[in-house]
Amino acid sequence: MVDVVLSIRDLHKIYPGGVHAVKGVSFDVHEGESVAVIGSSGSGKSTVLRCINRLIEPTEGVIELRGEQINTPLADVNKVRSRIGMVFQSFELFSHLKVLDNITLGLRHVRGMSKSKAEEVALDVLERVDMLERIEAYPGNLSGGQKQRVAIARALAMKPEVILFDEPTSALDPELIGSVLKTIRGLADEGMTMLIVTHEINFARDVADRIVYLDHGQVAEEGPSSIINEPKTERLQKFLSSMHEDKISEEIENELVNNQADHGYVPDGTGNRPRS
Amino acid sequence: MNSASPGIERIFSWSSIDSKSRVVILVSVLLICSIPHSSGQETITGWNEAESWTDYDLNAAVIHGEIIWVFGDSGIVRLSEDSGATWQNHTNLGDANLISADSYENSMAVISSEGIIYMKDDFESEWITIDSSQTGMKSVALTGAQSLVIVGNQGAIWQYTGQTWWNRTTSFTENLHDVDFNGDEDGLAVGDSGTILATDDGGATWDYREAPDPDCSIVSISYFNPYRMFAVSDSGQILYSTSPGGFEWQLREIESAGYNTTLATNLSSIDVVSSSRILFAGPDGYLGLSLDQGLNVERNILPTGVNTSFNDHAMFDYVSGIVVGDSGVILFTDRAGENKDIGFEIPDYNNFGEFVEYADDMLLSGFIATVKIVLFGILLGFTIGVILAMLKTAPTSFKNILERYSINQIRALGAICLIIGLWLLYTGVNRFPELQLEGLEYIFTPVGDPQGFAMFALGLGIVAISIQFILADKKLSGPIFKVRPLNSLATVYTDFFRNTPLIVQFMFIHFGLRLGMRIQQLMEGTFGDPGIDGIDYFFYGDRTFLSAIFTLGLNSGAYQCETIRGAISAIPSGQMEAGRSIGLTYLGTMRLVIMPQAIRICIPPIGNEMVNLVLNSSLAMVIGYSELSRQGKLMIATTFQIFSAWGLVMISYFVVTWTLALLLRRLEEKTKIPGLGISGGA
Repeated sequence: MVDVVLSIRDLHKIYPGGVHAVKGVSFDVHEGESVAVIGSSGSGKSTVLRCINRLIEPTEGVIELRGEQINTPLADVNKVRSRIGMVFQSFELFSHLKVLDNITLGLRHVRGMSKSKAEEVALDVLERVDMLERIEAYPGNLSGGQKQRVAIARALAMKPEVILFDEPTSALDPELIGSVLKTIRGLADEGMTMLIVTHEINFARDVADRIVYLDHGQVAEEGPSSIINEPKTERLQKFLSSMHEDKISEEIENELVNNQADHGYVPDGTGNRPRS
Repeated sequence: MNSASPGIERIFSWSSIDSKSRVVILVSVLLICSIPHSSGQETITGWNEAESWTDYDLNAAVIHGEIIWVFGDSGIVRLSEDSGATWQNHTNLGDANLISADSYENSMAVISSEGIIYMKDDFESEWITIDSSQTGMKSVALTGAQSLVIVGNQGAIWQYTGQTWWNRTTSFTENLHDVDFNGDEDGLAVGDSGTILATDDGGATWDYREAPDPDCSIVSISYFNPYRMFAVSDSGQILYSTSPGGFEWQLREIESAGYNTTLATNLSSIDVVSSSRILFAGPDGYLGLSLDQGLNVERNILPTGVNTSFNDHAMFDYVSGIVVGDSGVILFTDRAGENKDIGFEIPDYNNFGEFVEYADDMLLSGFIATVKIVLFGILLGFTIGVILAMLKTAPTSFKNILERYSINQIRALGAICLIIGLWLLYTGVNRFPELQLEGLEYIFTPVGDPQGFAMFALGLGIVAISIQFILADKKLSGPIFKVRPLNSLATVYTDFFRNTPLIVQFMFIHFGLRLGMRIQQLMEGTFGDPGIDGIDYFFYGDRTFLSAIFTLGLNSGAYQCETIRGAISAIPSGQMEAGRSIGLTYLGTMRLVIMPQAIRICIPPIGNEMVNLVLNSSLAMVIGYSELSRQGKLMIATTFQIFSAWGLVMISYFVVTWTLALLLRRLEEKTKIPGLGISGGA
């Protein structure tokens, strides 16, 4: 039996104002397993993820990390967080620090490493995400994909027991998604335990060992990645077909982007495209 | 740019200025320095030049009644009847050089280098010629209407009484240069190798006096009275007698010459004109005046074009008289030759240069005082601002603090607090009637009884909180648990300081709380008396300084807090989440992630606050701190130059604030985060 790293039991979250975002979600993440959480907007995926990292306090329910309950006031929240890596949709790199310092910050001030030791570790993880060339750059001068890979490296550097991905590609331009997905896939192959909230259905199918489909704050369907090809519930079928429509438009956009790429557009990291 | 950490050397370093700017800076400095100094005060000569109608060297001068006589080479004689302003010719006395002269009551005598003495024994009488048959004589002194003493080379001393010459040469055969008598009995003669000879019987017998320096050549002596005898050597030494009658002599240690025993110039003549005032003359155009018996000697400025060797003075009294020198130079004075300071005695502040001359010291001290409080005020204000901003944004609520305790513990805490609160409330309220206020007047209670009011307010707050603690439910959902106590404290502080006028805060803190005095006493208790200078005086010697710093800092902190808080709000919430998600504590994330970015954002508005602080520092004048504005008022009190005084003050403030603004602008550029802000061209 493989160890359960993360266990979520009957999670509820009611936001101030009465929005009942999560209504009794339960699932487990096992050692070395990558679990993808999919669902439409407002289905509560991000809320579940943030509850795990205690960025949001759940209203009810139990979250356990290797059998310890972590959502009580008695748990040391900083220690818990340092065991759980988090990658954000909007990267959230520290813009005043260079790439290398972004990674070493946590190592030095949380893990208490010396500067040289921290830099050694940082260079190691930056090599894993293929970002060694830009260690002296500021985040503002990186492209979106590069930023996200640095963010992944930052999470990896802390040697977390599980990494949470909060829609890691949805803020990226389509042509930049590939490098990030490749990096995540590489981590999955290395056996990293991961919980991924994503819109990329194909990616979820490729990478995830298990899919959890959330709808209106509840687990509507759960199973191996094959459920994407053969959905059992009507709700998932409906969701997948709507994603298919999105995908068509995505293809059109890809085409547009490729046309622009032909004109020699290189992302400069500012997000502004040159006016033509 | 390789590093994000700001440092002073990166904000202002010579090497970072490009060569063009360097040239501009250097040229500007050179230009400013090369503008000639125009002084409101000018020092001019106290001597006037008179026309002597001769080019012969003039060797001796003497006062005879109302007339000044001057004698020179080749028997030249000139006389003046108007204190030396104009001169008349007089028949030459022989054709030898006339070298020394003296007067005694109605008599006057002059000696030539041939040893011939010409004498007048009354104002109206004709010249009488007396031949001493001696050559090498140097000086003559009258000891009576018909008697005199002459001295000369190889110690020669001859006394003439009535019709007869007596050789009074002693065993001391050094060359004698000068002889002077006080009255008809007591006299002194001086010469080479420190020779000083004294007589008390009109020159019949002479005694040797020990000289302080046996090597000096004493060239002139002045016997003013038995207590005031002075002599000079040709190498600039001043000798004075330390005992009545001139028994002992010493060298003057001249204060104005750095306590050396020489004036570092050659001297030829000394003339004591009052009990403290001495005139000196020497070759190389030297004229000197001492007002304190030779302790301080000031060199006289000479009239333009005069540079000669001076030989002798003739003074009517201690201020008016003449000095004669080679090439027929005669200078006359009515102020003993003392240098005149023009523009000092009656300052004309309408002359801008003279006004600045007077004002610049005051302005500079005000400038330094302002910069002092501004620097410390900025440091204090910024620190307080950062702390307050952190307190205000702290998300810690009562719920966060209490949720780790059980509900029963919280209720027990509430019960204890309720008792304490009620006691405080009761005690506080019971003190109020002693104030004898009525109705609405109770609004002034915090001033009338601060301690009682504090107890009352604290009690009221504790009671209100503790009741909710007692009634708390398990989820701590009561309104009190949403209250963020740190935020509340900071809000009270900022509300207070932002809703009262700064000038009132100054007066309340300095005169009311007497904060400066309390800090000063505390520091004195710890570090001892500050004295009147040094580093301890700098820090706590002036209590208005302490009060001013604290008032400015506390006030500015309240405003800067809001600015910094705004900047913190501008940081995306994800930054805090990212920092927390790698395990940093709240404070750690604030320090390492949020603040470095927030401070960069708020440099422009903080700069605004700092400039405001500089300008607000002018209000420190109300507590008597001598900063720029107060100095401006003091300048006006003396000079009445209102436009100029406030103008100078304004320029000084501009210099401070503008420098500050430039530094901040540079800091902003240097700390800019690459990739942030507007880009993409116009």
